[in-house]
Amino acid sequence: MAKKLRGEFFILSANDLRTGEVVFLTEKGWSVNSSEATIIKIDQVDKFQAISDRDEKKCIIVSSKFVELDENRKIKSLRDKIRNSGLTFKI
Amino acid sequence: MYKYSEKDKSIIESRTKQFKNQVQRRLNGQLSEEEFKPLRLMNGLYLQLHAYMLRVAIPYGELSSSQLRKLAFIAEKFDRGYGHFTTRQNIQFNWPKLPDVPDILHELSKVEMHAIQTSGNCIRNISSDHLAGITIDEIEDPRPWCEIIRQWSTFHPEFSFLPRKFKIAVIGSKKDRAAMLVHDIGLRLIKKDKEIGFEVFVGGGQGRTPIIAKKIKNFLQKKDLLNYLEAILNTYNQEGRRDNIYKARIKILVKELGIEKFKLLVDENFKKLSDKNLEIDKVSIDKIFSFFTLPELKPNSHKVQIHKNKEYNEWVTQNTLSHKVSGYSIVHISLKSANHPPGDISSQQMMALSKISEDFSFSEIRVTHEQNLILPHVENKNIYKLWIELKKLSLATPNIGLISDTICCPGMDYCALATARSIPISQKISNHFKSFSDQKILGDLKIKISGCINACGHHHVGNIGILGLDRNGQEFYQITLGGSAKEDASIGEIVGPSFPESKLIDAINTILNTYKKNKKKKTEDFLSVFRRVGIKEFKKDLYDNT
Ligand code: SF4
Repeated sequence: MAKKLRGEFFILSANDLRTGEVVFLTEKGWSVNSSEATIIKIDQVDKFQAISDRDEKKCIIVSSKFVELDENRKIKSLRDKIRNSGLTFKI
Repeated sequence: MYKYSEKDKSIIESRTKQFKNQVQRRLNGQLSEEEFKPLRLMNGLYLQLHAYMLRVAIPYGELSSSQLRKLAFIAEKFDRGYGHFTTRQNIQFNWPKLPDVPDILHELSKVEMHAIQTSGNCIRNISSDHLAGITIDEIEDPRPWCEIIRQWSTFHPEFSFLPRKFKIAVIGSKKDRAAMLVHDIGLRLIKKDKEIGFEVFVGGGQGRTPIIAKKIKNFLQKKDLLNYLEAILNTYNQEGRRDNIYKARIKILVKELGIEKFKLLVDENFKKLSDKNLEIDKVSIDKIFSFFTLPELKPNSHKVQIHKNKEYNEWVTQNTLSHKVSGYSIVHISLKSANHPPGDISSQQMMALSKISEDFSFSEIRVTHEQNLILPHVENKNIYKLWIELKKLSLATPNIGLISDTICCPGMDYCALATARSIPISQKISNHFKSFSDQKILGDLKIKISGCINACGHHHVGNIGILGLDRNGQEFYQITLGGSAKEDASIGEIVGPSFPESKLIDAINTILNTYKKNKKKKTEDFLSVFRRVGIKEFKKDLYDNT
C-alpha cells in the first residue's frame, strides 16, 4: 500500500468491522473522531500499516486506508472528506 | 403475486442460516475479509463509503403490503429509518450493522424476500414493465415469464460465476418501460400468426461502453425459452473475457464477434445442449400464470373525480393512468419531491403506504426502474380520497415523467466507486424546476444522473444525461443529450466539455432554451426536437460566447 501513496502526511482510516462505521487511528485506538487521528508521515507508513494489519486480524476493523492530508493537515480529497463528515445533504 | 413453494422456503431458510454462520465466523476471526467478501456479496451485502449496504431483491418490482411493512420494520429497527429504491427495482439499506444482517435476512424470509443474487457475477434480479398485467397495450403479462426465469436462474450452478454480472428484462408490450434494450438479454413478448412467443435481444448495457442490444431472434417459442437462454449464457460463459473486467460483459463479446457470429454460436449451443427437461410445457406455464391473476376488480363506469383543487387536478393529470379494467386507475407515487434524494422513502412512509395499499389497491405495490412506486389497481371513485392520504405523507408530487422526476444513483455520498456526487445535483434540479406549470411547458423529459461511468443512474439513456467526473479533485459534470431507454432506445451524445457544479443548472437552462426555441409545435418533446435539429444547435448555444 505504501508504495502507491502520494503526499507527505496521512491519517489512517478504516471501517469498524461490526458497525461498518468510519473510524480513524488515534493514540488511544480507533475512533470515529478524525480530529483526534494520529498524523502519519510518509516514512512512517509501514509501521502504521502493521498496526492496521494487526487490528484487521483482531477483527476490529476492515478495509483500512491511508487518507492524504493537505498542507493545512486537513483531509485532501472530496471522497475522504465525505467519508469523514457524512452525507452532504439532509435525508 | 407469486407465492413461495415449500422448496423455495427451505432454500431461503437454509441460506439464511448458512450466512448467519458465516457472519459469526467472520466476527470471531475464523474468516478473513478476503474469504468473507465473496460470501457477503452473494447475500447482497456490500461495504460502502460510510457503512455496510444491504441490497434486497424485489423480483420484477412487485411488493405486497406485508412485504412493504416488513421493509419499513427493517428500516426502523436495523437501519436509519429509510430505504432507497434502485434502478433495478430493488431496495437498499444503507446503514446495517454486520451482526444484524442475519436477523434482517431472517425477517425478510418471513415475507418471502431475500438478498440473493443482488450482487456478484451471476444473473441478477429480473426486471420488468411496472405496468405488467394492468395495461391495455400488452400482448401478455411478462411477470410469469420473469418468475420462470427467476426460478431457473436462482443458484444455477453453471451461471453463479459468470465473467460479469448479468441482467435480464422481460416486457410484454411494444412500449418499453423497462429499459429492456440496455440489458444483457432483453425479451419482448410478441404475437406471430396467433402464437405468442419472444423477440430476443442481446448485448445491451450501459457502463463504460454503452450499447443498445441487438436482435438475435425474431421469434422464440415459449417452450424453448429456458433452453435458448442457456444457449446464450453458455456461449457467454465459454467465450466471454475473464482477463479484463472492462471487457467482460456480454455486450463486448457480441460487439467483438458481431451479432451474426454470436448468433451462430448460440444456435449451435442451442442444438447441442438443449435439454428436454428445460422445455416448458403448458401445464407448468399455466401454474405460474395462476399466481398472476388480477384481484377481483369489478368493471364500472366511474370516471376519475374532478375537483376544484388545482393541486389535485395536476396530480391526477400527471400521476394517474387508465387501468385496463374500466373504472380503475394506475397511480404513480413519486419519490422525487423537491430536495428529496430520488428513490428514498422513510420507514413511516413505507408503513403508511402499506396500509394505503390495503385500503386502496388490493395490497399491491410496485417499484419502477425510475425509482418511483405504483399502486396498480385503484378505483376511480377513491382517487381523491387516496390523494388526500398521499399528500399527508408528502407522497403526492405531481411530476411523473417531468424534468424533476430524475433517475439518480447514490453517487459519492454513499458509493465507494463514485467519482462525484449525484444526489445533490438531482436535488438542485428538483428544486430549481419545481413549478408544475414550468415543468409542463417542458413536457416529457428524462434527466438521469450517475456518479461514475458505471452508469447505475442510466445517464447514457437520459434525454439529458449527467455524469459526475473527478477533474483533479474537483467535481465536474459531463452532459449527454438525446439518450432514450424506450423502444426507440439511443445512447446520448456528449455535448462538449464538462461543467463544474456551480455552472450546471445554467447549462441545463441553456439546453432547455435551445429546445424551446426549436420546438415546432407545443407537443413536440425534447427528444424529438433533439433528433430533428441535432447536437450542433445545442453545442452552439452552450459553448459559443463562452
Ligand atoms: S454509477 Fe458509480 S457512483 Fe453511481 S452507484 Fe453506480 S458505481 Fe456508484
